[in-house]
Amino acid sequence: MVHLNSGAATHVGLVRETNQDAHLAAPPVFVVADGMGGHDGGEVASAIVVEEFTGLARDGFPPAEAVTRVEQVLARAQTRIRAHVAERRGGGNGHYYSGTTAVAALLVADDEGAKWLLVNLGDSRAYKLHADRLDQVSVDHSVVQQLIDAGELTPAAAATHPERHVITRAVGPEGALDADLFMLPLASAERILLCSDGISGMVDDDQIAEILREHADPRDAADRLVRAALAGGGEDNATAVVIDVVGLAESDPPEQTRLEPVSLEEKLGALP
Amino acid sequence: MNEAVDHAAVIADTSFRPGTWFGVLGEHAAVFLPPTVKDRVAPLWELVDGGSGFDELLDALIAGGLRSLPGFLILSRGEEAVRVLVRGTPRAVFLTTAGDTVEVDGADTTTWTERTVASVARTTLLLEGHETGWVQESDHHHLVSGGLVRVARVDHPPYLAAPVEADPVEADPVEAAPEPDPAPETVGEPEPDVATAEPFEAPAVAELGADPGNTEVFEPFTPPPSVGQWQPPDSGVPSDHDGQTLGSSWDSDQFARQQPGIPGQPPAPSVTARPVARLHFAHGDVIEVDRAVLVGRAPEARRFTSTDQPRLVTVPSPNQEISSTHLEIRPGSGADHGTAVVTDLGSTNGTVLVLPGLGPESLQPGVAVQLLPGALVDLGDGMTIQVSGA
Repeated sequence: MVHLNSGAATHVGLVRETNQDAHLAAPPVFVVADGMGGHDGGEVASAIVVEEFTGLARDGFPPAEAVTRVEQVLARAQTRIRAHVAERRGGGNGHYYSGTTAVAALLVADDEGAKWLLVNLGDSRAYKLHADRLDQVSVDHSVVQQLIDAGELTPAAAATHPERHVITRAVGPEGALDADLFMLPLASAERILLCSDGISGMVDDDQIAEILREHADPRDAADRLVRAALAGGGEDNATAVVIDVVGLAESDPPEQTRLEPVSLEEKLGALP
Repeated sequence: MNEAVDHAAVIADTSFRPGTWFGVLGEHAAVFLPPTVKDRVAPLWELVDGGSGFDELLDALIAGGLRSLPGFLILSRGEEAVRVLVRGTPRAVFLTTAGDTVEVDGADTTTWTERTVASVARTTLLLEGHETGWVQESDHHHLVSGGLVRVARVDHPPYLAAPVEADPVEADPVEAAPEPDPAPETVGEPEPDVATAEPFEAPAVAELGADPGNTEVFEPFTPPPSVGQWQPPDSGVPSDHDGQTLGSSWDSDQFARQQPGIPGQPPAPSVTARPVARLHFAHGDVIEVDRAVLVGRAPEARRFTSTDQPRLVTVPSPNQEISSTHLEIRPGSGADHGTAVVTDLGSTNGTVLVLPGLGPESLQPGVAVQLLPGALVDLGDGMTIQVSGA
């Protein structure tokens, strides 16, 4: 029987006045949401998404229906955000906006064993650490990511691109909820990190990997990541949720020393 | 403010010279696209005609992917400023009321150039590049009152046969007689009072007013307010006090993922109505191929949607010779339609394919190969997959 240990940390950062990030660590459901919108728009949207996922964690879900349930959670969140936006706009603030990113990890145990179901909308990220190796699982829904995919921008240039915060998908009052889904076997992801771009934009992947390797306790790791984001400038709300899989039955012998490539793209040299 | 503006009367002060580019001219904004992306024009016309503003149009363009869009130009006019965004070869030339000339083009940028130009007296858009063929045809200018037109050049106020000092690229004097004038009282005005005759004034101020100084911030899109209802932003700029994560407008399907596959070929159906093949695994599993099947020691599925969820097949590999996500078998597309195709996903030890009547062949990572009934796929470690017809 597997057990999940987790730790979470969040900080408003050094520049923002409010923390519009929200997170959830309620096994088997973990979420980071990075809200956006003027006034309290961002906080409201990210809180709604976390509330809806909290309901899923509380009520549980049949493994076979995990994907469907996640879709329902996102759809309910969108309905609530839409109603909230309509109310505020009706109240005289015609330009009120409320929306949020969402990245979530759900432990799904089906016949074939336990897996991670990862869900992503926006530019918050899911990473996995396996055999001390960090791998970004989610792909940002952002303009710069599209340019990187098109070969028009290098990832290094993306870090300073003026449009780097413009995202192309989110949970907002309208629009398709076209979430990316990922299914990972637990055995290949001993540690999962969910974070907002306040972490990934301030701390580079090498440093994230180092922190995740050095701090065995997920609470310490989350805390250190947020501190590193502050040390790196703290330009945005920073939130990290770190989840460890413990007690995993080792039906497979340990990994061989020869590491296999993380992805086809990497092996073929499409990624740096 | 401008509630009584006569729609038809204000729009007619733009002229165009016919060309190959698609011009989508609306009340709030205009978009210009190269002839190669004809399929994108109709959806944009719906947006423009529906009153969409600058940001919404940009979103729609981005959503379709930038790689296949070598150039475009988006323009919106506000009470005090014109906002323009150029990618690729098009050029926008503005003459300000102070007499300065401002040129905006997409050269030397990887993405696009965006500018907000205040106090514009005259706007000229050169879409087909200045060296090709527009000089000799420069007498054929037509008035336009919004809509979908094929253009090479657009002028606001309308281009006149008289020398136009605002146009620095106009190398040769224009000799031809002016176009017969369908609306003389509008066109015959050589120096229209731009400040009051501005056609896009009232609606576009919503977009511009929200973000006058900082062109890199996407203001979350708000449906255009009815004319006269506009209020200044009440939270300052940017109104997003998170500021770092920015949403923009998105509509249903705007950011629908692009179908993978080869351009020009029918896209591979992610899930087929009927299985195209059956896979008999050495350890006993029998799996039908009606969607992508990922096979490995501990397979991962990345970036799927709820409608194309792949099947994960875990196979035993006592000696760890099989990679965690070793290969993919999915319904084929194009020439492979109706059959399954196998792709080695960069496995450590590779995959060997034996097609009926042929010798063993090592799969190239990332290259899909058709699987005929009778084919045998060898993953190593004693694991084989026998392929049969569905």
